Amino acid sequence: MILVIAEQRAGTLNRATWETIAAAQQIAAGEPITIVVLGSGAGAVANELATADVREVVNVEHAALEPYTPDGYTAALQQAIDQLAPSLVLLPHTYQTRDFAPKLAARLDRALITDATGVKTTGERAFVRQMFQGKLTADVVPQGPGPHFVTFQIGAFRADQAARGAAPAPVRSIAVTIDASAIRQKPEAPFQEAKQAVDLSQAERIVAVGRGIKAAEHLPVAQKLADALGAELAASRPICDSGWLPMERQIGSSGQTVAPKLYVALGISGAIQHVVGMKGSRTIVAINKDADAPIFEVADYGIAGDLFEIVPAIVAELKK
Amino acid sequence: MKIAVCIKQVPTREWQPRLNDAKTWIREQDASYEMNEPDAYALEEALRLKEKHGGEVVVCSAGPARVAQVIREALARGADRAIHVEPIENDGLGSADAGVIAGALAAAMKEEQFDLVLTGLQSDDQGFAQTGVILAERLGLPHATIIMEVQVEGPSTGSGQAALRVKRELEGGWFQWVAMPLPAVLTIQSGINQLRYATLKGIMAAKKKEIRKAPPLPAGASAPKQKIVSLYVPEKGKKTQMIAGSASDAAKELVRRLREDARVI
Amino acid sequence: MPERETLDVDVLIVGAGPSGLSAALRLSQLQKAAGGEPLSVAVLEKARDVGAHMLSGAVLDPSTLRDLIPDFEAKGAPLATPVHDDRIYFLTRGGKIRFPFTPPPLTNHGNYVISLNKFVTWLAGLVEAEGVDLFTGFPGADLLMDGDRVIGVRTGDRGVGKHGEHKPTYEPGVDIRAKVTIFADGVRGNLTKELMRRLPLADGRHPQLFAVGLKELWDVPADRLAPGTVIHTMGYPLRFEEFGGGFVYAMPEGKLSVGFVVGLDYKDPMFDPHVAFNHFKLHPLVKGLLEGGQMVRYGAKALPEGGWYAIPRCYADGALIVGDAAGFMNSMRLKGIHLAMRSGMQAAETAFDAVRAGDTSAARLQQFETKINDGPIRRELYPVRNVHQAFGHGLVAGVAFSGLSLVTGGWWPRPMHSEPGSDRMEKLADYYGGGAVPDGATGANKPDRQLTFDKLTNVHYSGTRHDEDQPVHLLVQTDVCHTICTAEYGNPCQRFCPANVYEMVVTEGAGKRLQINASNCVHCKTCDIMDPYQVITWVPPEGGGGPQYDEM
Repeated sequence: MILVIAEQRAGTLNRATWETIAAAQQIAAGEPITIVVLGSGAGAVANELATADVREVVNVEHAALEPYTPDGYTAALQQAIDQLAPSLVLLPHTYQTRDFAPKLAARLDRALITDATGVKTTGERAFVRQMFQGKLTADVVPQGPGPHFVTFQIGAFRADQAARGAAPAPVRSIAVTIDASAIRQKPEAPFQEAKQAVDLSQAERIVAVGRGIKAAEHLPVAQKLADALGAELAASRPICDSGWLPMERQIGSSGQTVAPKLYVALGISGAIQHVVGMKGSRTIVAINKDADAPIFEVADYGIAGDLFEIVPAIVAELKK
Repeated sequence: MKIAVCIKQVPTREWQPRLNDAKTWIREQDASYEMNEPDAYALEEALRLKEKHGGEVVVCSAGPARVAQVIREALARGADRAIHVEPIENDGLGSADAGVIAGALAAAMKEEQFDLVLTGLQSDDQGFAQTGVILAERLGLPHATIIMEVQVEGPSTGSGQAALRVKRELEGGWFQWVAMPLPAVLTIQSGINQLRYATLKGIMAAKKKEIRKAPPLPAGASAPKQKIVSLYVPEKGKKTQMIAGSASDAAKELVRRLREDARVI
Repeated sequence: MPERETLDVDVLIVGAGPSGLSAALRLSQLQKAAGGEPLSVAVLEKARDVGAHMLSGAVLDPSTLRDLIPDFEAKGAPLATPVHDDRIYFLTRGGKIRFPFTPPPLTNHGNYVISLNKFVTWLAGLVEAEGVDLFTGFPGADLLMDGDRVIGVRTGDRGVGKHGEHKPTYEPGVDIRAKVTIFADGVRGNLTKELMRRLPLADGRHPQLFAVGLKELWDVPADRLAPGTVIHTMGYPLRFEEFGGGFVYAMPEGKLSVGFVVGLDYKDPMFDPHVAFNHFKLHPLVKGLLEGGQMVRYGAKALPEGGWYAIPRCYADGALIVGDAAGFMNSMRLKGIHLAMRSGMQAAETAFDAVRAGDTSAARLQQFETKINDGPIRRELYPVRNVHQAFGHGLVAGVAFSGLSLVTGGWWPRPMHSEPGSDRMEKLADYYGGGAVPDGATGANKPDRQLTFDKLTNVHYSGTRHDEDQPVHLLVQTDVCHTICTAEYGNPCQRFCPANVYEMVVTEGAGKRLQINASNCVHCKTCDIMDPYQVITWVPPEGGGGPQYDEM
């Protein structure tokens, strides 16, 4: 049985859980899938999860699980896994799972492969992950007795590909014992901080400009596209060197490395110093006058043409 | 305060990938190495805490002889002494997984009874983001990850009465303060402070500081939990779709493909 | 503001290259042999790691190594590849003519193909094992002088921001005072250059001459070229008026060193050494060796080509100059490492005696010059003293003279005339005689990104990295740039810099302006050497910055 550990906070399900469910369904090949969700009062979340095409949803309720602590979650999941006896445990690679999954796996002395981007099922099942800052890719096989643990990189699987069941899956609760006094972390309420600086690494969509924009006064052309896409504006090095955009918006080997869902490169030639900073993006669109520009080698979609004509046309199209 | 900083030596950022013949690991002899960047920030944080609360900073590193480079750099920046866990015979520890590394470190660190253990949130080479957390479990200590700020409150005697308050980074610009007792393990986020330089005097003094060689674990004590069966340069899996036509036609087609095929808008 | 650190040593060596490290090692040997009061020795190195800025072809003559470290094999010297096959070709655009034999001074029998980066790293290990303090990430920025006496060196400040402001990590440079300072700061070393400006060390000497070498390290199928094969070429893509040639050296496991050397005294202001390098790689001879392979590293460095007459006086009160900084290179044999090492050893012997005698005056340190004159350095360099200068009259004259000099021992009625290379660059109007000037670099082909690359891509493979937030380390009197230089020479800095540091940027409505991409700099010194107005001064950037020449 494959176990998916769902993530929720204050009764809201983290969308990444659906990606993990999709992953489980892809790997399962007939094996049953169970989803476990922890928390206090996670009832609504459990019902939402029950719409997935899985065998059952298991609710683990305990007062000590609210708020989240790694000590609490490890204690609860250790027992849940003992009861449910999965062969494979899948989680999304989130800030929270990075906090407790290694502890849980170490507690059980089992393999944990983190930040996987895919699975290979021909031959020995191997999980794919990036290494050396994306310079190399590795196929990794977990060793030792099961269950094996795997966390998947956000976006490696598509949430909308998680199949829904014909009828809601059964939901049941299991009991765990947690000694609340043994939980050593005392968390306060999470808070948001005023944006100190631009953090492009969190942006889901980015529109980046290069020399092709020709002058600072043409930046509004790119900004309009960014606005229409709900994207952050970024730039290749020459733009920042000229002072047209601040250094924090620079993408590349001397700036930030990003991997958003969508990266639109306007008038960027694709020098390797820039490409190393964005080639991990899920979907790359390049618009450049020069059909030979190296940027087209890394792009998914390319338009060789005048960005001053094409970009306004895209903006108009998006508004439809 | 007795603070440990676990530091990993990783290939430099400029290193060009060269694979070994089996294509299961890199050619270590061709690479040049440096201190893992998040660990450098952990070291800086440790040095600042020592300056504020007194005590000593001990660098711990697991790996072959070459890791002496990062140990000396840490000593030159101000760490007081070091523990070097050498590899088990026939296992260079260069490609070891987090479980093996954490186990090796824990065995060497246990008797020291550190008040605080800091390490970077993950390494720039394998990037597991596990070693610090597994280390906490092995040492039986509470932990918190991806820490932006560390506050030590109360008496700094390390008798367990002092307490820790740390700021965790969460998704999407959210943060959270967490209180914990000491001793504890923290994994530190990159960029939270300004790294100091190693001074000339620091480099000279580093040569005289103690580097204790911890014995490797007996064979079989820590079996690897991962096996890299293939390591390769990522192929460009995608084929670029060039969209032709007039500006408006191409724009229309692009938006359609982004909406329907790529589903990014 | 933190206080300036100071350090007092007996001997300070600036630069951890082959000459500096040989000096350091020799000093510890002398110390061991003589016993008595220990000498304090410190070595400064601007790179983050020893060897990171080391680049050379290279074919090593092991003669000095044998004298310095007789048991070098037992000590694991990285000399894996003895030279087996020596070939010289004259290239034409599509073909090649092989020299039927290799002239004796150019044969490499008994020599080794090495990686200078690896060799220097190994040497540094031996030096550190002797207890010598090796300070990496510390460039020598300023001379400390007391009148005409060198009393030490000040290292560069750290933690200075782009506009000169002090960052929270600011530290002033360290004053290292030494009884003797050995300047081993490499070709066109910034401190040696300053020393030669302050003291009349160049009086009566010929101007120093230089070349620039561009090099790539390639991974090719292991059976492509037998390890130990050494290939040198002349001719294409250079014209008869240009000095230089290409090289390919084969190392084990399919590693090839490919490079091109061009004299920094060419006339055509539109000439671009990097373009020549790319043409060289596309020549059928070289292309056949590189095809299907992978470029792994790129780099560039200047070479001192002036020879015997261009070497300045190498001693002063409290100072000695060794290695490429002085110009101990045999430009006929294309070898300088063994001479650099020899000069380092001899400087060490001189310095050791002087410190022990309590007299480090110029009169005492002149012993160094005696050793050079009486020893292997003069024996080797004197016969080839006019070679590079002969090439100043063109390829034919150069080859003819070189050939003749094998017999005559380099005789010529008087030292052959030479002028600084940057003076030889002709103005656009003169060179092109009012005719059409080629747009951009002469004859540049679009890089195919398999065998040839644009400069920016190449720079990426040099591994060069600098803290972005620091002052620009290339001091340029820019009022020359967008006025007379554009008209007279077409801003040649954009072409002779192999790292895309200099760009004349046209901004809408603001005309042309010089943009300096300082963080691309690979510390080759070409700009400091070749700029026709001599208004570019290279100073060391913050310590630790620069290329990462793994295996170069």
